[in-house]
Amino acid sequence: MAVSIILVVVAVMLVAVLLIAVSRRRHAADDGVDSFRRQIDALSPEARRPTIDQMKPSEPPPADDDGDHDQ
Amino acid sequence: MARDLAIDLGTANTLVYMKGRGIVLNEPSVIALNRQTGEVLATGREAWQMIGRTPGYIVAVRPLRGGAITDFEITERMIRLLLQRVGVSRFTRPKVVICVPSAITEVERRAVTDAARRAGAADANLIEQPMAAAIGADLPIDEPVGNMVIDIGGGTSETAVISLGGIVALEAVRVGSFDIDAAIQNYVRREHGIAIGERTAEEIKVAIGSADPTPDENQAEVRGRDLMSGLPKTVLLTPEEVRFAIEDVVSSIVASVVRCLSKAPPELSQDFLVRGMFLVGGGGLLRGLAERIERETEVPVKMSNVPLEAVVLGAGHVIEHYEALKGMFMGARR
Repeated sequence: MAVSIILVVVAVMLVAVLLIAVSRRRHAADDGVDSFRRQIDALSPEARRPTIDQMKPSEPPPADDDGDHDQ
Repeated sequence: MARDLAIDLGTANTLVYMKGRGIVLNEPSVIALNRQTGEVLATGREAWQMIGRTPGYIVAVRPLRGGAITDFEITERMIRLLLQRVGVSRFTRPKVVICVPSAITEVERRAVTDAARRAGAADANLIEQPMAAAIGADLPIDEPVGNMVIDIGGGTSETAVISLGGIVALEAVRVGSFDIDAAIQNYVRREHGIAIGERTAEEIKVAIGSADPTPDENQAEVRGRDLMSGLPKTVLLTPEEVRFAIEDVVSSIVASVVRCLSKAPPELSQDFLVRGMFLVGGGGLLRGLAERIERETEVPVKMSNVPLEAVVLGAGHVIEHYEALKGMFMGARR
């Protein structure tokens, strides 16, 4: 009786360890995909726009053709 | 809490980008010291103006050569002073990303990060200059296409092929625009018998220097010290003479570009013919250089819109997206 209980406990522990290992492996693979995606997204032109645009010369104010200004 | 910083620690100039603020400092990488006491007298532009014009007790030096630290202690003091100027104190220790040449050794890498940490950085990481340049030059490096960037700095010239956020092929030579200045100095000394300083040589390069014949070429008057009599003397220098003087340096840069092209996978090589190569860095501003590279490689060469700031802008973008882009640091697991 005692032996069979021990065997069941060991079997349950083995299954638990196996499940944890499989889930960790899948998680690690997801991490790789996610971090690569995050890196590529952060390098996209849209993500870079705020940094790059700092160096663009500020546009001159639009020319007023008729020269009239509201005072 | 200090704002995180990106530093382009160049042989010629140091630029600092502050997170959320943009470029906050752009100064020559020069420090002036009192020889007797070791006291720092000036840094940056003020120290640069002293080069070759100091009394015996003052020395104005560039602590970096060929993109590497030649004097660790002076570099550390220069970085500390630069960080202080942008608001870093003993109590506000920012994360710092520093751009370095891709070809530096492990020892040189450690010297740079140690210097930054000892100067006040909480954490210091390095990023390769060509990668930072490609980000800052707004190249589509997030796409699976071949992007080629040529970064010609004061002490190094690097060419890299970049695709999908990583370096595919790389070629670097420890030759840059300071070697062009030195070649002009040596030529004038050898052929005209006069000694000129490095600032005068740089002025000659800017005024009449070119890598390929250009329209509207003029002679330049060069003033220096006659080596025989020791008296001030003026000579005339032609653009052909300057081209001849700098030919070895220019050839070495062009050869490294050709080597990098030959290392690129064929799938990416065809992209260069359509998209061209991008030139960044102060050395890239040499007249006729883009045309010379284009002539020898038969690949179009385009000048970046921000040749002097591209590297620090790229590193600045990395500091803005630190968590997402920390895998791009040198030595990071990719």
